[in-house]
Amino acid sequence: MRIAVLIAVAMAGLACGPPGQSVSSRGQAGMLPPREATPPTFTTAHRTVADAARDFFGIRRDAQQPIPFPHNVHIANKLTCTDYCHEAVTKGPRAGLPGVKTCMICHESVATDRPTVQQVADYQNRGVDISWQRVYGYAPEAHVRFNHAPHIRAKVECATCHGNVAQQTVAERVVDLNMGFCVNCHRTKQASNDCLTCHF
Amino acid sequence: MAVDLDRCTGCEACVTACHAENNIPTVGDTQAARGRALHWMRVERYWEGEFPDVRLKFRPVMCQQCDAAPCEPVCPTYAAHHTDEGLNAQVYNRCIGTRYCANACPYNVRFFNFFNPSWDKPLHLQLNPDVSVREVGVMEKCTFCVQRIKAAEVQAKAEDRSLKDGELKPACAQACPATALVFGDLNDPESEVSRLSRSPRGTKLLDDQGTQPKVTYLQRQSSE
Repeated sequence: MRIAVLIAVAMAGLACGPPGQSVSSRGQAGMLPPREATPPTFTTAHRTVADAARDFFGIRRDAQQPIPFPHNVHIANKLTCTDYCHEAVTKGPRAGLPGVKTCMICHESVATDRPTVQQVADYQNRGVDISWQRVYGYAPEAHVRFNHAPHIRAKVECATCHGNVAQQTVAERVVDLNMGFCVNCHRTKQASNDCLTCHF
Repeated sequence: MAVDLDRCTGCEACVTACHAENNIPTVGDTQAARGRALHWMRVERYWEGEFPDVRLKFRPVMCQQCDAAPCEPVCPTYAAHHTDEGLNAQVYNRCIGTRYCANACPYNVRFFNFFNPSWDKPLHLQLNPDVSVREVGVMEKCTFCVQRIKAAEVQAKAEDRSLKDGELKPACAQACPATALVFGDLNDPESEVSRLSRSPRGTKLLDDQGTQPKVTYLQRQSSE
């Protein structure tokens, strides 16, 4: 049954591209861009059946970070999640990532001999930010609008959803943030379980 | 919500604002001609009288958030349902696209995604991150900008107070240059929208259908 649904979903995703797009791709037949190239349009359609299958089963590749950021070292050095690095977490939906300048507040003088820190300094000299890859986050089909700030105000620990980051080097997805996980916590904390709390 | 038809000039700023706020895709003229366009909000235009003695009337129509919504009981997956606050909610995750709700709706304000929406890059960067981008096969409709309602509620709770009347506006009401659209809490008898809803000019759209809509239209009172 599930397989049948999957195939139907995949076909729908492929077959029902927007009308404008199908016309333009017909016009360029024979000189299709390589699969890795960025498509000229943004669409919710899956690009391949495999993509659709991965999304359906919730299979995601692990994030590949440009620099192996050691969370454990930073936390062991008395840095908490919310000061400096993810400080937007108390203010709005997104926890936020620190820019290179924030890294360099400390690393101007701390551990400047390490090659990874020198890499960070190099990023700053070039004036580019580090392209960190997203570790958590919901699939677009989940239609979830998550807001960090009210969870922090409700005294939910970061570790509840993100695991014990103090023991991780590069952040890993150790907690499966499925709907059951959210709903259970909302029940115990007597938060709203209305659909529109998260899905809109 | 209350709509003052005397104030509405039919400028369609509300329609544009709604499209921008809610990531509503366009489908192109061919598909629009087949009735597949999505407009959570539309401005209906009526000509009355014979030339040269004609009158032009406009009426903005969005989801009426009915108390006895015909779309809700026909949904096999409870995607269309009523919230405690009285909103007629549409949950995209649950929707399997039977389109029964669109058939049941007497106001024609529910829309089906016949295609995966697409935006030419870099236009996708203007999408509202607070609102889902719906994919092919789901119904969608006006939510009264529930993302703004939720954001205001979260903010009010953080400041340990209740929502103030007029604190939040849906995109259409915010964009309306004539303030024809007034949004507020109908459960609060003191709110501006409650006061307008009690107006003797107030009428409901297709009232005889018994849908108990929550949008009140204030009829024109200018010279007939």
